Amino acid sequence: MGYYGIFKITGRLDVREVIQVSRLNGFPFPFTKDQYTYSNNSVPLDPAKTITVTADYKNELELKRKLLQKHHHRCFRSLPLSMESQWEIMLLLFNELASCNPESFTFQKKGDECLFQNHLLEEEEAFVFRDVSTIALEPLDLVGRHVQEDLILMGDRHNGLFLEAGQLCFPSNWSLAFVQGMEFKSIHNPVPGIQNDGFIDKVERFISKIRPGTVWERKNWSITVTNMLDTPLETYSVWGKHRQEVTCENAGDLIHLRVEVQRLFRLPMNHDVLFTIHTYLLQLNDLIQQESWFKSFYQNIKTLPEEIAEYKGISTYRTELIRFLENHMEKERRGQ
Amino acid sequence: MAYTLQLTVKKIEHETDTIKKFTFTSDEIPLPPFGAGAHVTLHLPMGKRQYSLVNNPLEMKNEYVIAVKKISDHNGGSGYLHECIGQGDNISVSPPDNFFPLRTEAKHHVFFAAGIGITPFVSMMAYLKTIGRSFELHYAASGERECAFHRHIQNHFRSKSTFYFMKREEKIAKLKKALQNRTMGTHIYLCGPPAFMDILLEHSHKLRYPEKFIHEEQFQPAVLIENPQPFFVNLVKTKKTFMVSSGQTLLDALHEIDIYVPYTCRMGVCGTCEVEIEEGDVVHCDSFLTEEEKVGNMLTCVSRGIGHIKLRL
Repeated sequence: MGYYGIFKITGRLDVREVIQVSRLNGFPFPFTKDQYTYSNNSVPLDPAKTITVTADYKNELELKRKLLQKHHHRCFRSLPLSMESQWEIMLLLFNELASCNPESFTFQKKGDECLFQNHLLEEEEAFVFRDVSTIALEPLDLVGRHVQEDLILMGDRHNGLFLEAGQLCFPSNWSLAFVQGMEFKSIHNPVPGIQNDGFIDKVERFISKIRPGTVWERKNWSITVTNMLDTPLETYSVWGKHRQEVTCENAGDLIHLRVEVQRLFRLPMNHDVLFTIHTYLLQLNDLIQQESWFKSFYQNIKTLPEEIAEYKGISTYRTELIRFLENHMEKERRGQ
Repeated sequence: MAYTLQLTVKKIEHETDTIKKFTFTSDEIPLPPFGAGAHVTLHLPMGKRQYSLVNNPLEMKNEYVIAVKKISDHNGGSGYLHECIGQGDNISVSPPDNFFPLRTEAKHHVFFAAGIGITPFVSMMAYLKTIGRSFELHYAASGERECAFHRHIQNHFRSKSTFYFMKREEKIAKLKKALQNRTMGTHIYLCGPPAFMDILLEHSHKLRYPEKFIHEEQFQPAVLIENPQPFFVNLVKTKKTFMVSSGQTLLDALHEIDIYVPYTCRMGVCGTCEVEIEEGDVVHCDSFLTEEEKVGNMLTCVSRGIGHIKLRL
């Protein structure tokens, strides 16, 4: 079977293939090398955009709002010190939504009077900049309900970067409640090897030197069993057990490559750092349709150091996963 | 940031006999927002010059305002602005950057200014007043007539400001005293001529004031090598020798001979392409390594050797 790019050459294109093509199309495939490497893989982004609107906008916002409604204390946290930066983030994101997607969003600001219109959801937010009496939620909590990204505010203090506010609905096995107010290095302590050669210190220094108005992007990957976006530490008992269910037969259906497109932005006005996380999931059955992705994914899973596999939660089913991939490889080889 | 804004001089006002205030604006583009303590870089015929913004970041109406003291004739930046720039003229400006941000976690902010060093504090005080935070100003000048923003400060921040117009010895004694007996959580900011900064810094050290609570205005223009020279490199582990030509970076030269050094930003910012130096002199052009780290390490994407260097690769 031949492939050119992601387009499969067959006589006709059925619905299943169209969906697949669009999914593959927008998916931020994270691997650039055929071997797992440990590095500060951030790249500057021009133009400096902090968020992306995708075809899943409505579905994801519905899920996000449901989670916020049911588990607000788990999904939103803030310290009083974060208020000025929260306002700045709200203006920034409303502005960006409107200027990058003018057909879907409108934003007007006359003096401090602001009006944001979300045409996709048929909603509007009218408020006065920096006047808390004009909004029902904190600014970060409000603007977060109009973007697909999780939003984290890192306060840049004289003694380090601290997590001072966050709206986090789709975490990969971490807890906002646990890390609220924590310093950057402490938050990353669970990552194996992160202290080696002062690596985490250098990443922190890199972030603290990001210039106002610039955006840096990195992709972070892991694997989710099932297609759940919301996998917080708090509900581990619900989703974690699926890791035991993976076999070399069902891996293609169950396993999803989870990619977080993470962006760092220095807020020009308050000098704090906005960290946005856009989470994408791609079913393994879809991923293996794209030959170069399949190869790269296989090599990375194969060469992943044991402690990283453990940290990413892959150890339980790594053997089954590799067998599934090798079976697929064998099938492709025979087919040619 | 690489891009520049084309701005128009909207207004020029006399602040004192030697200090002019310039207001820049644009009818076409929204000016990027900035924070208290930020500066803009003006592109003038004699080179790039940085000036602190004096407007309130929260009340910015598509304008950047700076105050410039004339310290040269028209061949220098300040003289050129004073003598050759008029209302309606156009000027290229790099977007604001900020190496002197407010530490918003402070319980109380104390500003020490001398002369034209007042400029960043004009913006900081306006911002802090708007958000309702506690601050005070200690401002030394040779006299009321020479004191930029004197009336503005009296009008807006009178109860929080102390002026020092007396003789030098008395001034120094009083300023030193103002540094003493500060409560915990107070952040100190200094801006003025080097002699003024040195005296107060030295005194703060004597008082054992924690260093992370003292902030100085520091312009950090990116180091740019005007005429890059070729240099030779010895790799001590892989035993290779090669030349980096004037138009090439060390990183590219390494990749050319198949020595793979990981990299990301190629701007001396991220620290990924760091290598260890075994021997030789290096011109460091990055904004990442600390002074201690620069002794034995370099970033290959921007920094260059002089003559002949040896690397532990």
